[in-house]
Amino acid sequence: MVLDFLQSLSEIELVGGLTLLSLLIGGIIMAVGIILAKTVRLLFTKYYAPKLSQDTAKNFGKLIYFGIIIISFLVFTSSTGVDLSGLLVAGGIFGIVIGFATQSVVSNLISGVFLMVEKPARQGDSIELPSLNISGTLLDIGTFSVRIRLFDGTIVRVPNESIFTSTIRSLTSTQVRRSECLVGIAYKEDIDAAISVIKKEIRKTMSFVLTLPKPEFRIKELADSGVNIEVLVWHPREDWGEVSPKLLKVVKKALDDNGIEIPFPQRVIWDAKK
Amino acid sequence: MSTETSESEFSNYGLYTVIDNLELFLPHTEIKIERMGPNVFSYVRNDSESDLVKKIIPVKSDQLTIEISPIRPLNYPAKRTSYVYLELETPVFLSENSAATIFARCPIEIGVFLIHDGHKDSLDCFTCDPTNSRFALYGVPDSGTLCKYAPSEIVESYEDSIPFVNAVLEINLQNQLDDGRSISKIIFPISDNSVYYKNSKAIIDSIEAVLKKKLTLQIFDVSKKSIQTDWTLSPSYERELIDMGVD
Repeated sequence: MVLDFLQSLSEIELVGGLTLLSLLIGGIIMAVGIILAKTVRLLFTKYYAPKLSQDTAKNFGKLIYFGIIIISFLVFTSSTGVDLSGLLVAGGIFGIVIGFATQSVVSNLISGVFLMVEKPARQGDSIELPSLNISGTLLDIGTFSVRIRLFDGTIVRVPNESIFTSTIRSLTSTQVRRSECLVGIAYKEDIDAAISVIKKEIRKTMSFVLTLPKPEFRIKELADSGVNIEVLVWHPREDWGEVSPKLLKVVKKALDDNGIEIPFPQRVIWDAKK
Repeated sequence: MSTETSESEFSNYGLYTVIDNLELFLPHTEIKIERMGPNVFSYVRNDSESDLVKKIIPVKSDQLTIEISPIRPLNYPAKRTSYVYLELETPVFLSENSAATIFARCPIEIGVFLIHDGHKDSLDCFTCDPTNSRFALYGVPDSGTLCKYAPSEIVESYEDSIPFVNAVLEINLQNQLDDGRSISKIIFPISDNSVYYKNSKAIIDSIEAVLKKKLTLQIFDVSKKSIQTDWTLSPSYERELIDMGVD
């Protein structure tokens, strides 16, 4: 009875020699291919991915999955006897049309491949894209786009092409980072004394500031109202939040506690008549 | 800490069994353990920076046993590295093909461990010298090694540690080069070095530091050397941080 049913399916021709039976067999091949692809990817994720870096594991997972799907599709086409040559001729003209229409999609796809190969940043790195005004943690480099979690907690999706053509500043590729602040002291104050008290306060209260390299002090400018001193300190890369936003507060406290004047903007006016 | 503290002022390292309450006095730090209920104790630590650490400890028995011991100086202000950078206050000059053994101070932190069913669980850790617990970079910013930094004084023997602030470690220096060299700093991974204590003194496993030539490079090779001692071995404190407020 089953044989009769299959016989009847093989006699129903759809297009160009493609019978319902061969379509059914092809469907089974594709289904087995998808199940196999998912199983292999699952086994890879469970046993081999932990030994690789996060993004490499993810890319390998995708490669395995889509590789098996493509092989299944090729087996499907050869088993059903579908002749794709006609499709290729038609596809040539159609491809030009589609090519123009999907230019940005293809561009993003190619950029994604190059990003995966070049790896300008890894998953979990903190990055800054100055031209796009984006700073955050890199979550994932996908086929068409990159997901970045901004420091305010929101997630932004950036097309791969934009990332690939942007300047990327990695904030976590080295063990240490530097933070700076600028403070002005009145002209009447002793610069060395001011630097000394700032140095002591940083040493006392900022536990993440590195002892070596030592905090650096540069006389930035003899400005309109006072002498501007730039304070530069190094700290572990993870502790930017413990240093950079607090540095100016610590510097001001040191100057206030020691009675060193931070000048307001001021202008000396000479009376020509006197 | 610039001045040496008197031993007698403070509690000692070691095991403490708490029936009702216990107070321990360490430099700039006070620990109070009090019974809250039949099987519950409270743990409160107060330090020089007015930070207060409070924990509630449920126990199976009607008493609580803790161990206070020196631990490796890697946890305060945060765990960032396993390297220690000791800057010798007085550099040691080694002439060609010579060797010397010195004792140097190395910072420590204090670990509090809860003892139950033969296990020692990390309960708390802190430093009695927070203003000197700082990081430094050995090397250049783009490829250097982040280390815990401490100026180190050369002392006479293992008995010369400052209680609860530092330990003493033996450093075997050797110069295999053909010219004399001054050694002013030693950088080494301390995660393999065990810490030992007796009363309020602490010592750390020795290190061997050899100045030698490897191919065309002159290197300073530092390795750990275990010591044989009757001092008590401190438990290890370091552990991985689990998310969701579990530490």
